[in-house]
Formats: sequence, structure tokens, C-alpha cells
Amino acid sequence: MATVTAPAPKAAPGVLTRPAARKLLALAVAAAILVPFAVTQWGGATWPSALTVDVSEPLGRASDWIIDNRDSHPLFLYFFGHVSNVVVLAVRAVYLALLAVGWAGVTAIGALVAWRVAGVRLALGTAVAFLACGLLGMWVPTMQTLALMVVAVLASVVVGALLGLAAGLSDRMDRVLRPVLDTMQVLPAFAYLLPVVLVFGIGVPAAVLATVVYAAPPMARLTALGLRGADKEVLEAVESLGTTARQRLLTARIPLARKELLLGLNQTIMMALSMAVIASVIGAGGLGDRVYQALASVDVGAALAAGIPIVLLAVVLDRVTGAAGEERPGESRRSPLTWLYALAAAAAVAVAGRLAGVLEWPDGWELNIAEPVNRAVDWMTAHLYSGVPVVGGTADWAAHFTDWVLNPLRDGLQWLPWWSVLLIVAALAWLIGTWRTALTAVLAMAAIGVLGVWNPSLDTLSQVLAAVAVTLVIGFATGVAAARSDRVERALRPVLDVFQTMPQFVYLIPVVALFGVGRAPAVAAAVVYALPAVVRITAQGLRQVDPAAMESARSLGATSGQQLRQVQLPLARPALLLAVNQGVVLVLAVVIIGGLVGGGALGYQVVFGLAQGDLATGLVAGAAIVCLGLMLDRVTQPTVRRPRKGA
Amino acid sequence: MTATNVNGTATERPPVFSVDGLWKVFGPKAGRVPADPELTALTPAELRSRTGCTAAVRDVSFDVRKGEVFVVMGLSGSGKSTLVRCLTRLIEPTAGSIAIDGEDVRAMDKSRLRELRRHRAAMVFQHFGLLPHRTVLDNVAYGLEVQGVGRAERRERAAAVVAKVGLEGLEHRRPGQLSGGQRQRVGLARALAVDPEVLLFDEPFSALDPLIRRDMQEEVVRLHREEGRTMVFITHDLQEALKLGDRIALMRDGRVVQLGTPEEIVGSPADDYVRAFVRDVPREQVLTVRTAMRPAADADEAGTGPAVRPEATVSEAIEAVARAGSAARVMDGGRCLGVVDAGDLLGVVAGTAVPEERPEGAAVLPGEAELPKEAV
Repeated sequence: MATVTAPAPKAAPGVLTRPAARKLLALAVAAAILVPFAVTQWGGATWPSALTVDVSEPLGRASDWIIDNRDSHPLFLYFFGHVSNVVVLAVRAVYLALLAVGWAGVTAIGALVAWRVAGVRLALGTAVAFLACGLLGMWVPTMQTLALMVVAVLASVVVGALLGLAAGLSDRMDRVLRPVLDTMQVLPAFAYLLPVVLVFGIGVPAAVLATVVYAAPPMARLTALGLRGADKEVLEAVESLGTTARQRLLTARIPLARKELLLGLNQTIMMALSMAVIASVIGAGGLGDRVYQALASVDVGAALAAGIPIVLLAVVLDRVTGAAGEERPGESRRSPLTWLYALAAAAAVAVAGRLAGVLEWPDGWELNIAEPVNRAVDWMTAHLYSGVPVVGGTADWAAHFTDWVLNPLRDGLQWLPWWSVLLIVAALAWLIGTWRTALTAVLAMAAIGVLGVWNPSLDTLSQVLAAVAVTLVIGFATGVAAARSDRVERALRPVLDVFQTMPQFVYLIPVVALFGVGRAPAVAAAVVYALPAVVRITAQGLRQVDPAAMESARSLGATSGQQLRQVQLPLARPALLLAVNQGVVLVLAVVIIGGLVGGGALGYQVVFGLAQGDLATGLVAGAAIVCLGLMLDRVTQPTVRRPRKGA
Repeated sequence: MTATNVNGTATERPPVFSVDGLWKVFGPKAGRVPADPELTALTPAELRSRTGCTAAVRDVSFDVRKGEVFVVMGLSGSGKSTLVRCLTRLIEPTAGSIAIDGEDVRAMDKSRLRELRRHRAAMVFQHFGLLPHRTVLDNVAYGLEVQGVGRAERRERAAAVVAKVGLEGLEHRRPGQLSGGQRQRVGLARALAVDPEVLLFDEPFSALDPLIRRDMQEEVVRLHREEGRTMVFITHDLQEALKLGDRIALMRDGRVVQLGTPEEIVGSPADDYVRAFVRDVPREQVLTVRTAMRPAADADEAGTGPAVRPEATVSEAIEAVARAGSAARVMDGGRCLGVVDAGDLLGVVAGTAVPEERPEGAAVLPGEAELPKEAV
């Protein structure tokens, strides 16, 4: 077919350095004009107060107005009130149903569903996970979290699938939705909490809605992706047979997108769990609340007892929904009849459990791990925190890290004149991406200044930079090792699998146990959370380097070091940049949550705003988090998004 | 021309597809290109630099007659795949007219067009275009399902077609479990299942191994012999075109450069491009004795020697002449049309003597000098 337009002539490698130089030159010219003006007008290191807009007062008034009118204004009475009531009723109903089925029934149903979807091994795993939740004395909180999840996931899937359908079928909707969804994907969970609290107040409805807002985007994105990614020739063949648009959608496009749809479901469930746990800050209850309360009183044992069920739930949900997306070869279609048997068996177990009167988890079977864990932590505090000969102690490390890395970095950033920060952001973003990403990044950074939270944001930024640096050093090294040795990769895989499924919140538990509270533990949690993704993307990127290029390098007699430096790393550059981008986004999410364990800065302001009912402070911090997330994402965004050519 | 009397009846057969002045231009404001004589005169490269448009199909006209295999041949980028998609408006043409059985395709509304695609023209695709989540049987039955045929009936009809293309026993496999050749049989069966008036093939065998490709070509020949269905066949493979085609339209840069029987394409290439294209074709296997014969010198020559049919290939005549050791007579129903001797036949093989040479570089207009095989 003659429809393909000729590719644009590519710049020769020798000229590649020129655009970069041109960009920097343009920026230098702009700076030379603007900076003297800015300095004479608003000198000083920190953001000039003349350029800030005090939004806390109008925000405070808005929040007061909402609180005053929540019970009387028609908007609340006839819309938000109903939404809130429906959510409460739904969560309550699911919760009561779970309790009515009893622990035996829930375990049996979970295991049978896992068996039908994913096989015997995962069924056993599911049963063990549920029983472990009971053993740890966490049955009721687990059911609370599960009830909230069920409602939130159902709503997310419906909302996400509808949005995805719209974006998948209409180019215009896609153009509108895609940047919004892309941006939502990079924002830390904490940013979503305050707006919903503003409208719904602290409680279950706010928690569910925050979860839906956080968890629906992946479903929408993947639905659109699946619908758009369908094999063009299959669609053409289907059209050539005279199908209507509806027939095409139902018999071809949706079935062809099955894999993406199930992946979307999987991601939505994982995001929902992550958020349902974090939303304990705004009244979600359940497991997250137990962890939150325990962390507030630095009771590591209790936090662990609630954290383990979260991890188990995460792993089980991820594996079971993940397995649903995989085609299992050699297996005929699962007939609905076996599903019927499975359901009947589950119902039988539930009824048997009811008759035997074992609805509630028997007290005698509970295992109290909080005390032994706390004893161990006490021992660690006494023996490992500081004064260990030669190596020092964990608290010493944390203190040193804070003194030698975090403080200088923060002070340095805050010492830099505000315009130079903007200039650095612009230069980095433009060099890596396009002028568009640079502009967005600079505007986002300037917005932080305008909001009047320049200094706390730079504090957060310094933690992010420190954590990203550590993450990248460890991540790239591990990634290279995993890419070069199959054995290392095999050993790492299960570890990465588990770490990647855990919600952000639980990472705070072990770091508090090891390092106490403060900024260093927040950074440590961020590093641990971001590492698996960085390692994985790096290793995959290096492994996917064209084997022919590697082979030709080998045939020319390149040493393995030369192969790595001259072939693999340059060819894997897009993957490495993606790893940096992901690392930054993930680190930011946890650094913000670190506000719960003494990380200070923006995260703390959100928590403080929630705890004190000072929503204005929290909202401003939330907006600053959004801006910071946007800025960091755009600065590290390498992909050049070209407008698609109309054919 | 000697054969016009036999030919006359063939051209009267109504065309199934009738294409006239068809254009497909991709790019911004594509509609102005066919209308502007200044732009239509440009070469593809000039057109692109002037307007940013690419003309995939340029002023193409032809008729596809009932029951024939009409092959559109050209290299990649010649516009042949775009052309076949324009026939059922999978790609919307820019200008020109298309008629199926005299009905204007471009004027059809949505439901009429669906009707056309459901019942009158079915297509077979290069990469099969099967639905991976359905079994072979359900893929074959898909066209009937789209039409709203009941489950039992469509499965029964699909099973019959599956058997016809030689896929018995594989009904419940998924496309992913089949080889390339088997998958294309499914694609063929799916198109056949709706019992269309015309089968459209878009390079159906290009993705297959050579041996499988030959099997599939023979399958198409067999189907055509058994059912006599009209076929439009797109290919970039000259051998395939010569083997299957009753008539061949050779495309280059969106234009039809020559339209004729395989014999005409090989025997009298319209220009240097076609000549270069057919240079390596074994001429004796394509050209018939009708083109190689000369009038009998005398009654004696017309009365003796082995008899061959006028549509016999030159290589068949060579065998007859070699056996008999004398010139052969070209006999049509007891009438001697002419004779061929060893010298005439050698001339064909060597390419030195081309009877009925058309004037060098003459433009070949569609519909001119066509000799449909079965009419001869």
C-alpha cells in the first residue's frame, strides 16, 4: 500500500549534540534577559513574598462554608448526600455479608475462586493467607478492608471501563483524557485525600471515593489501550464481513482486549488496596487504621501484626487476578458447570461453619505477635541502634545520613536563589524532553512558589533527590547484574514480585523498627519502595537490546565490559530513562507518606491539616504535592510525544 | 484479430465489478487532486512535495466479469491493496465510480453497504485476520453470525465449508494452534461460508512458505473450477498471477500499466517496465500455439501432422512436434487454423519471433484485445 509517508530525515549522530547546545543557548539568552530583572525586582534566595498568593484564607472560607452547609445545601442534600449514603450502605452490606458467611466460608470461597481462576497452588496460598489473617487476630479489620475494597474496586472498574471505552472509541475523548490520566498516574496518593475530605468529611465515603479516584485511571488507560491496540487486520476483516459498529465492539474489540482488561483489573485492585490502606488517615478503618494507630505510637509489633495481612492480601489478590489474564495452554474452556460445583462447595462450607457456630474467629486461635516483636525491637533499640563497634548503629546511620546528606542538600536547595531553581528545572526538562515538558515543569515549580510553600517543598524535594540518587545507584547496579547473570535474575525475581505488590504504607513499618522516626527513615522507605521497579526496568531494558547488535559486537571481539558500555547501555537508554522517571515518581509517593513517620515537609502538612481540621493548610500542601509530582515527572520524561499524523 | 468473433460473446457477459476512473489519494485535502489536471499530471514524488498527498490509486478503470479470476498484480506500494479495499469501501475512494452488478457502490448508504459486505463480496486477508478467541468453527461461522443466522444452522453450514477446505478434525482448535497454511484455509472458509458473489483476495498467500503457497494456489484453482465463483486476486507474485489469472491488471505507482490475459502480458508487454517484469517467465508455458502458428503453406501441410488445440501451450506443442518429427496442425473443431513447426516454436522459446507484435509502447486500454481463456 502506498499510504505510508516517508520517514522524516534523521539527524546524523554527529549533529546530535547540536540541538542540546541550541537549547541551552536559548535558555541562557532568556535567562540573561529575565534574571537581572527578577533579581532587582524580587531579590533573595527564597520565593519572593510579593509573588505569593495567599490561598489559605479563601480555602478556609470554602471549607467552613462546606462544613456549615453540608446538612442544608441542596447540592449536598440531593447529590453528595446520596453518594455518601449509597457508599456507606454498600460497604456496610458487604461487610455484614462477609461476617455472616463467617471465616470458614470466606476462606473457602476465596480458595475456590482462586482454584478456578489460577489453579491449586494459589488456592492453597489463598486459604493460608486468610487463615493467617485470622491467626494474627486481624480477621475483623481484614474484613473491613475487604468490604471497602470490594465496593471501591467495583466502582473503579465501572468508572474506569466507561472512561476507557470512551477513550478507546473516540479519538477526541482520547486526546482529552490521556493527558489527565497520565498525570493522575504520577501523582502521590496523598494528594487525593484532601479534596474528598473537603466535600465528604472524614469517614468511609471519603475513603472509598479517594480510592476510586486513585484506582480508576489504570482501568481506563488499559481499557483504552486494549481497544486501540487491537490487530488492525482483524478489525478490517471483521468489518469486511459487514458487521455493525456494535457487533465489532462486542465480538471483536472487547474480546481482543481481554488481556489488557484483566491487567487493568489487576492494577486497579492493587492500587485500590494501596489507597484503601493509606485512606485510614481519612477514616477508612480496617487494617490500614491499625497500622496508622500503631505507627503513631511507634508500636512496631502491632503495626506488623496488621501489616502482614495487608501484604498477604496484596500478594494473593495480585497473583490470582494476574493468573486470570494469562492464557493457560492445554486447558479446555472452563465450563460454567465446574463454577457451579465450586460455588455449591463454598456455600456448603459456609453453611457448615454457620451451623457449627464458628462465625467469628475463635479467640483461642489467635497468635499475639505484637509482644515478641516489640521485645525484639526493644532489643534492637538497645543493641543495634547505636554504639555497635566499627559499623555504628542503625540510628547512627540515620543520623549521619540526615546530617551529611539530607541537611546539606536541603540547605543548599533553599540557599539557591529561586530563579536559579526554575532555571535548573527548565534546563533539565528541556534537555531530556521537549520545550512543552520544560514549560510545564517550570510552571509547576513556579506554582509552588506562588502557593507560598516554597521552603517545605524544597525540603521534600531534597528528600526525593537523596532517595532517587540512592535508588538509582543501587537499582542500576542490581539491574545490570540481573541482566548479565541468569542466576542473579532467578534469585531476584520472587523478591521483586513480592516487593512490587506491597502497598506503599507497609514499607514504613520496618524502617521505623530499624531507624526510628525522622527524615532518614522516610527516605529509606522510599528507596526500598522504588528499587524493585528500577531494577526490573533496567534489567528488562538491557536484556531487550537487539541480540543481533550484541552478536555483532561479540563477533568483533568486544569484551563483556565493552559490550555493556558501548552496546547495551546506549541501546537501553530509553529504558534507563524510564527507570529514572519511575524511580522519581515512586520515591515521591513514599517520601510524602513519610510525613506520617516524621518526614516533615509537605507530607506532614497534609497529615497536620487532616488531624487539626485545618483543611486550608492541607489543601495547599496537597496542591504543592501535585505540582511537585508534575514537575518531577516532566523533568524526567524522555518520550517525545508527537501529534499523530492523520492518514 | 482472428479471435474477435469468439471474443465478442465474452465481452457481452455482464461485469460483476465495474470500476471507472477510480482515485484514492491520501493526505490533506485529498479531494482536489483528481479534479485538478495539473496535479494529476505530476509524478508521485512531485505530487507529494507539492501537496503532501500520496495517490495510491490513480485513475484506474476495469471490469471484472462474472466467473473470471481477475488478478491485480504489482510490487509493494503500487496501490493494489488499496484498490481492492476500495471495492467494498473498506477504504473510501476519493473519486471515480465503482458499480457491483450495475449498482453504484459509492452511493450506498450504511445499511446497503453492510448488505454488500455481508452477502455479495467476502475478503481473504494476507495475515488472515482471524479472531484468536474463537475456535476454527466459530471463526468460519462468524460471517453468518453477523448476518443473524441461528447458531445451529450457521454451525452446520460452517462445518460443511470447513470440510470443503480440508480442515476436518480441526474445528475446535483455536487459530493460535494452527499452522500458517491452516489459518489461511480458515480465512478462506470464512469468506466462502457466506456464499458471496465475489471473493476478494488480498495477497492471501504472501505470508506462507513456498510449498504451502503452491498447495493453497491449487486449492483456489480447484474451488474456482468447482464453483466458478468470481474472484479478484491481489498478488505481488508474477508466477501466482500467471497461474491463477484469467486476466491480469499490472499496476505501477497506482496506475494500471497493462491489462490483459497472461499470454498478452508475457507475449506483448506494453512497455519496458512490464517487459522487465516478465523477462524471466518461461514463455513456452504461458504462450499458446495460437500466437505461435502461421498459416498453412499449402493443402498438404494443412492435412498432415499431429493436431493440437489452439489453447495448448507452446511447450505442449513442442512435445507433439518432437514426437511426430514434423510440423503440427492447430485444429479447432475439425478446422485447421494454421500450423506450427519446430522453428516457430523455438522462436517463441528464444523470444525472437513474437507473432502479433503490438506497436512498441502502445498504451493498453482496459477492455482492448482481451482473450479470456475459456472463450477461446
